Amino acid sequence: MKMQESASIPKFTRKDLIPGGEVKWCPGCGDYAILASIQKILPELNTPRENFVFVSGIGCSSRFPYYMNTYGLHSIHGRAPAVATGVKLANPKLSVWVMTGDGDAMSIGGNHLIHALRRNLDLKIVMFNNEIYGLTKGQYSPTTQMGQVTKSSPYGVPDYPFSPLRLALGAGATFVARAFDVDGPHLQAILKEAALHKGSAFIEIWQNCVVFNDSVFDPIVSKESRPDHLLYLEEGQPLLFGKDKENAVISEEMSPRVVPASEAPKERLLVHKSGLQDPAYAFLVSGMTYPEFPVPMGIFRNVQSPAYDEILDGQVKKAKAKAKDNSFMALFDGLETWTIN
Amino acid sequence: MAELLYQHAEPEAVLSGTHFMDGNHAACEGAIAAGCRFAAGYPITPSTEIVERFAERAPHVGAMFIQMEDEIASSICLQGAVWGGLKAMTVTSGPGFSLMMEHTGYAAMTETPCVFVDVQRAGPSTGLPTLPAQGDMLQCRFGSHGDYEAIALCPSSVQECFDFMIEAFNLAEAYRVPVFFMMDECVGHMTEKLVIPDAREISVLGRRFTKKPPEEFLPYAPGEDLVPEMVKAGDGYRFHVTGLTHDERGYPSTTLATQRQLVVRLIEKIQRNAPKIWKWEERNLQGAEVAVISYGISARVALKAIELAKQDGIQAGLFRLITVWPFPGQRIQELATRVRAIVVPELNLRGQVANEVERAVQGRCPVVPVGHPGGGVHDPQDIFHAIKEALS
Ligand SMILES: Cc1ncc(C[n+]2csc(CCOP(=O)(O)OP(=O)(O)O)c2C)c(N)n1
Ligand code: SF4
Ligand SMILES: [Mg+2]
Repeated sequence: MKMQESASIPKFTRKDLIPGGEVKWCPGCGDYAILASIQKILPELNTPRENFVFVSGIGCSSRFPYYMNTYGLHSIHGRAPAVATGVKLANPKLSVWVMTGDGDAMSIGGNHLIHALRRNLDLKIVMFNNEIYGLTKGQYSPTTQMGQVTKSSPYGVPDYPFSPLRLALGAGATFVARAFDVDGPHLQAILKEAALHKGSAFIEIWQNCVVFNDSVFDPIVSKESRPDHLLYLEEGQPLLFGKDKENAVISEEMSPRVVPASEAPKERLLVHKSGLQDPAYAFLVSGMTYPEFPVPMGIFRNVQSPAYDEILDGQVKKAKAKAKDNSFMALFDGLETWTIN
Repeated sequence: MAELLYQHAEPEAVLSGTHFMDGNHAACEGAIAAGCRFAAGYPITPSTEIVERFAERAPHVGAMFIQMEDEIASSICLQGAVWGGLKAMTVTSGPGFSLMMEHTGYAAMTETPCVFVDVQRAGPSTGLPTLPAQGDMLQCRFGSHGDYEAIALCPSSVQECFDFMIEAFNLAEAYRVPVFFMMDECVGHMTEKLVIPDAREISVLGRRFTKKPPEEFLPYAPGEDLVPEMVKAGDGYRFHVTGLTHDERGYPSTTLATQRQLVVRLIEKIQRNAPKIWKWEERNLQGAEVAVISYGISARVALKAIELAKQDGIQAGLFRLITVWPFPGQRIQELATRVRAIVVPELNLRGQVANEVERAVQGRCPVVPVGHPGGGVHDPQDIFHAIKEALS
């Protein structure tokens, strides 16, 4: 049965996803690499091309749907998760992707984002984090580092930034991951996992804005920095890093701590598990920030819970199955109108 | 009744001198000169330069800028700041302005003096973020639910962005209403000469704080001009601000009598005082056959059309609205009896202000709207043709 189904899905290639026409991001923008990665993995997902829907808000990143030869909805600043909720509920067979920016998702759209995640609706929410408002030309966003001088913070950003991963975890997201623009193979692997996940998936992608926030992630993601400052999370593997994996992350009083690998007590050495129901471990690892810690990339949480559309579907079936009750009490407790025969 | 206390602007805050700057920067300087010491905003083209400049200037003038998470937050945060004791504004453009509508109503209902700046761009929706329009003129008047009156001013030069911003803050304090400073992308981004006068030549209206002792003070008991006096948090008055229908004590009341008394007063305090609020400019209207009524950037384009008409032997003059709301209908009615036709160019297609002109004119002469979808300004030829047609 499964075999037959997949055999009947018309094949398409990466090229079929490129609509032609001009891509209007700045030369060198990290958005290009993310676009290429998504165009690469879509044909591998065993889903007909016409079932993909890309919904975005407003921002440079939110221009994404124009560059995909699929259904696209360029919506309103911050509202993409709510729009996508409507699309997915109206037609659950669609593969619905939300393409959003750090401002779009965390600032004006913060409310919609946390509620979409909380409902565990089957949406893939991909947040391009460049730690800046790109489209409006360089004001600080909720992920810009404290103290950074931007167009709207001439004396330095006075507020504390969000940790997008921790926000998503706090909202109950069942799939939470992070990757970055220029490591294509890693990003593609994460995106594929997200696509296979049933429920809300939140993927933060670090994306370089060459014009208004160039190289902010370089201390972590540049080729030279990676061994010491970046940690790829691998399922079942201990958190080791350094050129020769000479450093380890252990847990101490519910916080992470870096020690030489040779001195790491085995029982406290952190071993990566994304499938834990309790988000405490994911929360701990997602709090590892530069420069104190190597910054983790990968899947922080990947657990199964019934998705909103499944729950709703179950309710519908149950309600329909319930025999019609015409007793006085049923009328009394029920809707405020009834039919007189 | 608390008398209106005008002072001069704070000399340290006023950049007196001759400048070359754009309307957005001038609007920011106007706000600072007017005593605005709090701005809340969320970046949006083509208005962002106003708050960017405010952020830069703030520490030098004892002010504060906060970038909020969106326009819903900005437009209500600023009202908190007003009740905390400061003069405050928020700055936005179309999509952000739409989000603010719940809070423009709150400001009207709670009689919170504050300024909303809208640098209009073409819509609907995201539309043309970088290009001008005048399509929010009804939204600023009617955008929130329920009945209320507001004041809206339209500058049409860089100098006016400065001068009338001060006026906007003064009107907000005088009548305790939200004042809408309705710019457009052209006025916001055009660069011209700006003369900022000496601080002693700038009149700034102080807040109408009560002098009554707390036990006698009724927060919503109006004075003769229908405007109640204010207090601020921290001054020892027990005081509730509420968007619910409230009596003179500021307590919720659900009676028809309270609703009528309150809402009628909110409207009448502006309508009755309208002649004191109105501002307009008349040019060449003496003996004119045609009056062109316009505002903002369109009024400047109209001047060219009036010149073309003159070359064609038609006497046309300009009536430039500075106060659009409350609408100076009386004056326009008089005008309608003296001219053969009225032409109303504006950067929207449904005659947002032209309809109001028509309502005032009541058939005394033909009214010809000259619409435009926004995204640019009129071709003066189009206005000229409308002038010619209006006479035929
Ligand atoms: C209601 C509303 N407010 C403000 C804007 C202006 N605006 C457009 S995009 C944007 C921020 C974009 O930042 P982000 O989401 O991080 O995307 P990026 O451009 O960095 O990819 C803002 C403030 C808008 N379009 N609508
Ligand atoms: S402004 Fe920044 S984020 Fe936007 S397209 Fe240019 S480089 Fe990319
Ligand atoms: Mg961004």
